[in-house]
Amino acid sequence: MVQTAPYPFEARRYPARLPALQGGRETRRHPVVVVGGGPVGWCTALGLANFGVPVVLLEADDSVCFGSRAICISRRSLQIIQRLGALPGFLATGLPWEGGRSFWRHQEVLHFLMPHDDNQKLPPMVNLAQYSIEQILLDRAEEQPGLIDVRWQTRLTQLTPQADGVELQVDTPQGAYTLQADWVVACDGGRSLVRESLGLKLQGTSYEGRYVIVDILMDSARPTERLAYFDPPCNPGSTVLVHKQPGNVWRIDYQLREGEDPDAAIQPEHVAPRVQSLLDMMGETAPWKMIWTGLYKANALTLDRYRHGRVLLAGDAAHLVPIFGVRGANSGIDDADNLAWKLALVVKAQASEALLDSYSSERVAAAHENLSYGTKSTEFMAPPSFAFERMREAALSLAVRHPEVRSLINPRQTSAITYTQSPLNAPDDARFSAGPVPGQVLAEVPVTACEGDSRRESFLSDLIGAHFTALHFSAGGDVPAELQAWVVAQAQQGLPLQLLRVTQKACSAHAAWDHTGRAFPLYGAAPGTLVLLRPDGHVLGRWHQADMPAAARALQAALHPN
Amino acid sequence: MRTLSDADLDAAYTHLCHTLTRLGPAQSEAVLARLALLALSRSASAADALRLVDDAAQDLTPG
Repeated sequence: MVQTAPYPFEARRYPARLPALQGGRETRRHPVVVVGGGPVGWCTALGLANFGVPVVLLEADDSVCFGSRAICISRRSLQIIQRLGALPGFLATGLPWEGGRSFWRHQEVLHFLMPHDDNQKLPPMVNLAQYSIEQILLDRAEEQPGLIDVRWQTRLTQLTPQADGVELQVDTPQGAYTLQADWVVACDGGRSLVRESLGLKLQGTSYEGRYVIVDILMDSARPTERLAYFDPPCNPGSTVLVHKQPGNVWRIDYQLREGEDPDAAIQPEHVAPRVQSLLDMMGETAPWKMIWTGLYKANALTLDRYRHGRVLLAGDAAHLVPIFGVRGANSGIDDADNLAWKLALVVKAQASEALLDSYSSERVAAAHENLSYGTKSTEFMAPPSFAFERMREAALSLAVRHPEVRSLINPRQTSAITYTQSPLNAPDDARFSAGPVPGQVLAEVPVTACEGDSRRESFLSDLIGAHFTALHFSAGGDVPAELQAWVVAQAQQGLPLQLLRVTQKACSAHAAWDHTGRAFPLYGAAPGTLVLLRPDGHVLGRWHQADMPAAARALQAALHPN
Repeated sequence: MRTLSDADLDAAYTHLCHTLTRLGPAQSEAVLARLALLALSRSASAADALRLVDDAAQDLTPG
């Protein structure tokens, strides 16, 4: 008899409710409806709320998700989540980690570390279960009831695009109704009904290999790191991954052997002996209980466009990235972050609709990059042909003695993506010899936040909110009058743009004092340098000596692309 | 030490996997033997070439 246990988490249940209706139609029309209350849907709603745009979020279930889904949240995602106001919950609940180990048969063949240094505020990765991810984002959404209207147990049944909006039909236990939106963001996952309604099909590769995913409850002092076992003695011929999660939950993914019946393989009585032999091999002796089992099959698929008129697709609704490399939820959170500010500015008539085409082009390019890494990881985890199998064995066996081949085993964990080809990027200034280029995310660095007499230890990312930021580098906080006037003029028009001084000396103005002397070289900056950041923290343009007409043109070109 | 970047080695590895897959198992030994010979011929020295062969054979038992 297999011992079982529930998750150490109880989801709150939410009732369905109907809005004010007239003849089965909601009386109020909405600027934005988000379909799907997963991590991507919540991040989209919170991102729009940051700009004051009200959102209706439709969720078919009555609570956050159940089971083992996304478990790793990257530093880049945490930076986004910080801007959404939900970081404390992630850091309080999540288990931070920096690297992992890979084993081949009996031997350790790789110990990898993800990029990390003294400049970073946040760990490279934290582990937490998707139900916690969703709960923390939901808690944050509930703090803004006037902006985020969550409709639980409300299932989309039909979507009809219209010239200037979208009509949605939904069903609830209390009855069906129709609602109208100017814009719809589809965050309804891999089996997206929105995608299907539009007649769109994901394109790419589906892999044959299947994995069993198991969550167990076990008390162990083992540190949080990613463990990968190739052809382990406990499960010869298979690949096994192990991740520690909060609350003594351990997530185990193992590859099914060829010819194994997947339906039988996920039965607890078949899973338990495999888990036991793995734990025996790892030297884990504590008793354990099974919480959940599921089946996974890797897909590397995407749409070729994420904007279809008034409908925007994000996350798994737009692309399916293999889980190896943890780019699924993380790429979806990046989608939400890219889309939220653009859609908000379009809704508020501060930008042209064409800005939304850059959401599609930037994130499709990102998906291709994620897919290429995800594909490589998948092909290493589950070799798709004799050749991949033979070469993998060569790499693993040589890695024992030859460090020069170990990079082939590295799991290629997710990292921030640079929008190299973005239509929004201003032409780069050749005078820079270092620093983030247009399209790249801002570089993190510790600074001292100055304001009047106040001095506070901080990080640059703490001082940059959900708005455009003119980062001006100077010795003591002097800013050219025309830059100041420009920032004030934008603010008077309601455009979210703020000035942040980065200074070599402490000053009384609102500034990030580069007390370590690292920020200037990190940005390739000199006194007079201007870096214009987008609300998602990517560099829009940079000028080694602030060039106001050029910076103003870059902002206008971004808001109103041709 | 190698001069290829991690990404370059990765791309070469994947290209080799796809090439072997395309030509099929029956030809894989021929491709790998030819590849080995080309790689040996680019060795920096005689000692280097011999060491490559020995490194490739190390830990494998006669079968």
